Amino acid sequence: MSELAPTGDRAIEAREARAERLRDATLRAVLGLGVAFILLPLVIVIVYSFSSVAYGVFPPPGLSLRWYSHLFGLAPFRGAFARSVVIATAATGVALVAGFLCALALVRSRFPGKEALRGFLLSPIVIPKIVLGVGWFIFFARLGLQGGVVPITLAHIIVVLPFVVNILAANLVGLDESIEEAAQDLGASPLRVLWHVVLPQIRSGLVVSGLLSFIVSFDQVESSIFLTRGENNTLPIEMFLYMEKWQDPTIAALSALLILFAAAVLMAALLVSRGTDLRRMLGR
Amino acid sequence: MKLRGAAIVGLMAPALALMAVLYVVPLGVYFVNSFHEFRDGRILPAWTLQTYVKYFTDPFSYRVIGTSLRLSLMVTALAVLIGYPVAYALHTRVHRPAARAAIALLLFSPLLVSVVVRTYGWLILLASGGLVNTTLRGLGLIQEPISLLFNMRGVVISLTHILLPFAIFPIYSVMGRLDLSLKEAARDLGAGWRETFLHVTLPLTMPGIVAGALICFTLALSAFVTPQLLGGGRVQVLPLAVYNSTVEINWPGGAVAGLTLLVISIAAVWALNGLLRRLPTV
Repeated sequence: MSELAPTGDRAIEAREARAERLRDATLRAVLGLGVAFILLPLVIVIVYSFSSVAYGVFPPPGLSLRWYSHLFGLAPFRGAFARSVVIATAATGVALVAGFLCALALVRSRFPGKEALRGFLLSPIVIPKIVLGVGWFIFFARLGLQGGVVPITLAHIIVVLPFVVNILAANLVGLDESIEEAAQDLGASPLRVLWHVVLPQIRSGLVVSGLLSFIVSFDQVESSIFLTRGENNTLPIEMFLYMEKWQDPTIAALSALLILFAAAVLMAALLVSRGTDLRRMLGR
Repeated sequence: MKLRGAAIVGLMAPALALMAVLYVVPLGVYFVNSFHEFRDGRILPAWTLQTYVKYFTDPFSYRVIGTSLRLSLMVTALAVLIGYPVAYALHTRVHRPAARAAIALLLFSPLLVSVVVRTYGWLILLASGGLVNTTLRGLGLIQEPISLLFNMRGVVISLTHILLPFAIFPIYSVMGRLDLSLKEAARDLGAGWRETFLHVTLPLTMPGIVAGALICFTLALSAFVTPQLLGGGRVQVLPLAVYNSTVEINWPGGAVAGLTLLVISIAAVWALNGLLRRLPTV
């Protein structure tokens, strides 16, 4: 073809190359803007945490650390943070144990109604959290179990359990059962097989589902807001209630610390799982 | 290890016991309340459908349902319209796995931070002296600051940002499974970029779009923190109605509003899942 119409072809090629360059530049800009849009609210929160004034103008007229010192003077936030960590850790722990056993049974068995049962186990994800929240409020009120961290922890177990079951079941599907059989043939008890053969193979699944559970529990507002009554507020609820009344950068200072905390938790998880699972998930 | 009868039951027992006691019973107790009536500041013990009748004959209920649907549809459309090009750009323009993972991690990083924090970020950004208004004025696009807070606009912008990762992720992962040879075949047969995109890439990535829309729609429908903090009382959606009824000890009214929310969520999941099954799989 190029021999027949060399000039026309070259013109088309040149036009295509120009169009490709334009597309390339546009798509790179889109990606840059997308990342900027996603990060903007987090960056602005960090900037405002160092603001010298209480009102929100851009740019802030001066820099100061006054909101951090104000934050550290507020005892309710400290208690709420500790409570949230305890609740998230306990809920994640219970969900990991119950979820692992359940996922194992789901993956390694066949019985009628299994898919329906799996659907039931995953269904809390699609129920609006506020509906669950009111349900737990009435339920625990009827039981007379109010205040403290126990009702909130029990509620969070149900919120995070579906994520654990789903992720661990996906991890268990790919395992080579002959390794377990070999261990059993060599005299290992089922418990030893679980501990020394099965669990090490799904380590990254445990890390990812544990991390996700912790974050999801740590972020609960609607599901828990009726279970708190001031003295046992969790951190997001303490922040939510503070924000309904005041909007000074104290919340920005706290948010900046939480962003730092999230980054640290993520780094720790990346180190433990050596990043392989996350990289496989995100980078392909 | 293959499992048999008793072992299966034993392994599932803890999870199923938790689900029965802490999930089925509380939801049951909640819905039972919808068959009672709230009058003169207390819940009457008699069984009745009166709360349903009252709810569905009140025009205010329909305004709330309408606001909820409008908000969820707008946010879902925006999240997909913004999320698709971003996922496409990441898929086609970034080739090193480490760079891909890093950018993907940045795009999903807001999910690690509380929704209260993200909403607070928008509260600062959208204020009349905030970054958005200052920038628009600097560009000469507006003369007076536009009000972006305590109305529908602010809630839509903030919620779109909050749900964007949920739109990007399914689209991006479907693109990863895309058969590149189909694209090349289209190109070899003389199709330009536009034809290839419209007739090959877009139809094949439709499952990702529908899956993303499904997650965004249901999450937008049940969003509570953002409409409450940024809506300024002017964005009355179903979750706020449930919250307000419960605060007023009107459990029956809250239960009916909650059931309405639940039914709409399930209907959306069912409809979009049906659509998903009819699409060609990659």
